[in-house]
Amino acid sequence: MEIPLAQEVIFGLVIGSYIALGAVGFTLVYGLVNMINFAHGEFITIGAFAGYLAVVVAGLPLPVGILVALVATAVVGWGIARITFEPMNETGAVPLLMMSIGLGFVLRNGMRVIAGPSSRRVRLDVATYRFDDLGFFVTSQQLLIIGLALAAVVVMHLFLSRTMLGIAMRATSDNEDLALVSGIDTRRIRNAVWLAASGLAGVAGVMLALSQGANPTTGFGQLLLIITAAILGGAGSPYGAVVGAYLLGIGITVSVEFLPSGLTELNATMAFVVLIVVLLIRPGGIVNTEVRTS
Amino acid sequence: MTDLTSRIEDLPGDAVHAGLIAVGAALLFLASPLFVQAPSGSLVFFEVGVLFVLYAMVLVGLNLQFGHAGLVNFGPVAFFAVGGYTAAVLTAEDPFQGVGLGLPWPVGLAAGVLAAMALGVLLGVSTLRLRDDFLAIVTLAVAEIVHGSIITFRDITGGTNGLQNVPQPVAGTTDAGGNAELVSTVLVFGAFALLFYGLFRRLSASPYGRVLRAIRADEQVTETLGKRVFRYKLVVFVYGAAVAGLAGALLVFYNGAASDTFFTIDMTVIVWVGMLIGGAGSDRGVLGGLAVIMSFQLLTRFFNDSIPFVTQDQFASIRLMLIGLLLMIIIKYRPEGIWGNADRLGVDS
Amino acid sequence: MTLLDVDGLERSFGNLVAVDGTTFDVEAGEIVGLIGPNGAGKTTTFNCISGVIDSDAGTVTFDGEDVTTVPPHGLARRGLVRTFQQTRELPTMTVEENMLLPAPDHPGERAWHAVGQTGASREREQAARERAMELLETFDLETMVEEFAGNLSGGQRKLLELARALMLDPKMLLLDEPFAGVNPSLTNEIVDHIEALNDDGLTLLIIEHELETLTELVDRLVVLADGQVLATGTPAEIMDNEEVIDAYLGG
Ligand SMILES: Nc1ncnc2c1ncn2[C@@H]1O[C@H](COP(=O)(O)OP(=O)(O)O)[C@@H](O)[C@H]1O
Ligand SMILES: [Mg+2]
Repeated sequence: MEIPLAQEVIFGLVIGSYIALGAVGFTLVYGLVNMINFAHGEFITIGAFAGYLAVVVAGLPLPVGILVALVATAVVGWGIARITFEPMNETGAVPLLMMSIGLGFVLRNGMRVIAGPSSRRVRLDVATYRFDDLGFFVTSQQLLIIGLALAAVVVMHLFLSRTMLGIAMRATSDNEDLALVSGIDTRRIRNAVWLAASGLAGVAGVMLALSQGANPTTGFGQLLLIITAAILGGAGSPYGAVVGAYLLGIGITVSVEFLPSGLTELNATMAFVVLIVVLLIRPGGIVNTEVRTS
Repeated sequence: MTDLTSRIEDLPGDAVHAGLIAVGAALLFLASPLFVQAPSGSLVFFEVGVLFVLYAMVLVGLNLQFGHAGLVNFGPVAFFAVGGYTAAVLTAEDPFQGVGLGLPWPVGLAAGVLAAMALGVLLGVSTLRLRDDFLAIVTLAVAEIVHGSIITFRDITGGTNGLQNVPQPVAGTTDAGGNAELVSTVLVFGAFALLFYGLFRRLSASPYGRVLRAIRADEQVTETLGKRVFRYKLVVFVYGAAVAGLAGALLVFYNGAASDTFFTIDMTVIVWVGMLIGGAGSDRGVLGGLAVIMSFQLLTRFFNDSIPFVTQDQFASIRLMLIGLLLMIIIKYRPEGIWGNADRLGVDS
Repeated sequence: MTLLDVDGLERSFGNLVAVDGTTFDVEAGEIVGLIGPNGAGKTTTFNCISGVIDSDAGTVTFDGEDVTTVPPHGLARRGLVRTFQQTRELPTMTVEENMLLPAPDHPGERAWHAVGQTGASREREQAARERAMELLETFDLETMVEEFAGNLSGGQRKLLELARALMLDPKMLLLDEPFAGVNPSLTNEIVDHIEALNDDGLTLLIIEHELETLTELVDRLVVLADGQVLATGTPAEIMDNEEVIDAYLGG
């Protein structure tokens, strides 16, 4: 059956939504802690399991479950970062990156030991709204995911533009030395970054638990998409990451229309090709941040 | 295996001569009617031994890239895979699925190396000007693309079925049966690994290596002191790609088949962890580190059966957890690895 | 004869114009000081001349050749060598390795010679080593040969950077604030080295942000403010220039 373009755009918005939440956190960490966190996917997985435990096992209503996952992942992610990354903050980008690879292995496989490889779905009563003359449908669950992401983006924007801490964060991201001289407490900012990034990852995790189920590689499976979105948007720029995520999400689903049928599995591979092409022609991404040496 | 490394460590100065002699001796041995049967029960050691010498070849190149020049190549498996699949596609005869051109194996071997080098040039020209953590992402992504393409383009690669009926030139030299061919394979591949170790060691121990270490320390200063930094980085990247491609081709000639499972991210992790455990930049140390991590894998294989209440899947996960933990501990508490030099790597410990 | 000619050099960072049409030249055999308040664009000017960053407009001519787009390694080989404001020794290499690295035309830096361990490579290495020892003795660093450069004192690092630049046998040195953070006795020592090098025919362009430091040393001063050349002249002329005094007090 031919899937209409409008439908693909909706699927793309859903994918873009959880990539966006993952990518914003990833890019905040990149911009403010100066590290590429390869364990960011595992933070998302923690959120997915937290959401599953809260909603399915404990039987909490969904909004409460989302809140629980957000807070739990924020605290756990922050705690892990305090133990692992923060003490070696001065060692530079490459050791931090390797540390995060090790951490990702430990968390991913640790969760697999406990939970096993199978997927656990958070099932809701889903209403489907059909727009037959326009040729697409949308489910309440899809609307929820897109709405949640938009809400999170708005909250993030208000935080970054209206609160002292958020403004200080942007200043630090632009120039850490300058921020230091002007008396901004960078320790406090880093704590805030880890809490925010992990919290957003938690929400992304719940979304994934809703749409695909929670398993030990839930987050890891999204990691390269998240990195691609973050770089597409300009590494370190939260707004760019949101734009990058939706471009990527819609790009992936719509491109299925135009690819020869045998190659649709190239979906994810396509994203990596996008990543490399971006790095080649405009490594600074949409907002053109500085990523070349010297 | 540890035996081999300690022998390498004790070598007097020049491993190139030793490597040449070893290659000559191994080839003579192949040509002769002689053969060695390994004692039964030791089979698994020889199987891991073949992988060890092939990974060692990859690592020798990786260590020149990262340990000396500071290039964060997280995709050695991409070159390994391109070498392997190029060789397999060119030489396989009537594989079950995919393309097999049935050409002679030396053609496949040479083409495997050239293809890996071509990928190295392409990737190097386009990404070696980026910040070092971005190079890490790109190389990792390329490894994923290569792996994904192997699965997707199944009309060429055989997809998840792989490619069968690849010639086995080493095994073909003896019909003694048993595991004689395995012993021969370890000897021949090991001799080549030793030779490449020697060649790369000469590079790193010369003024050439000094330029690479300067690039690792401060690219810009190196450039203002009259060195063509970009060209060095590119060439080193391509050298590493070439040996990885060669090792990949040897792997399919050993197995008589190519399969996507030979070329997963696990391989990248093993060589990286081996390098970091041994001490990046220490030419012998990294091989020692590889021996440590591969021995760990081998030994834990035997434990699985003796631990109750743990499923196969859980056991595999625990093993990977431990490897991750080991990586974290090394980076945090001994960033120079076991045999590395903290001053040279610029780390505190 | 004009050795270095900088003409209409421009460079901006976003909205900030760091170098704004800077024009000056340096005669062979001269010592010229490039002075100006902090943020005047002195380091950026150096970066553009030495090819470390691209300039937006303008030309740089060295030894009669247009070198505007020549990369840093090409300039170093033509004999135009620079140092950095923040000392940049290679900390993970020994003092000797720091010195041997710049040795020009070293066959051992080509893979073929390295793998073949050729005689040409060995001979060049030996010659470079002798030259390095000579320079290290001149700069009182001969006891530190085996030490990692990262373990040297701040002053020793400054000297090492200078000695290392000389391994290239330059025609002209660009020094970025060689006296910043250096104690008075070491300052004198560096001044003596600079004068000795100049007597041997080396041309120097030296950045300094304070007005007084260079007056004894240099033949001529070029004053930079807001990316533009405010005045040039002998130190005496500059010290009497109202505009210059204002720029300093105002900046
Ligand atoms: N890489 C850069 N990015 C943005 N601004 C820069 C950069 N380098 C220098 N600047 C700015 O250019 C101006 C001139 O700087 P600089 O050349 O270092 O001055 P000086 O060396 O005379 O003190 C300053 O305002 C500085 O902040
Ligand atoms: Mg300056």
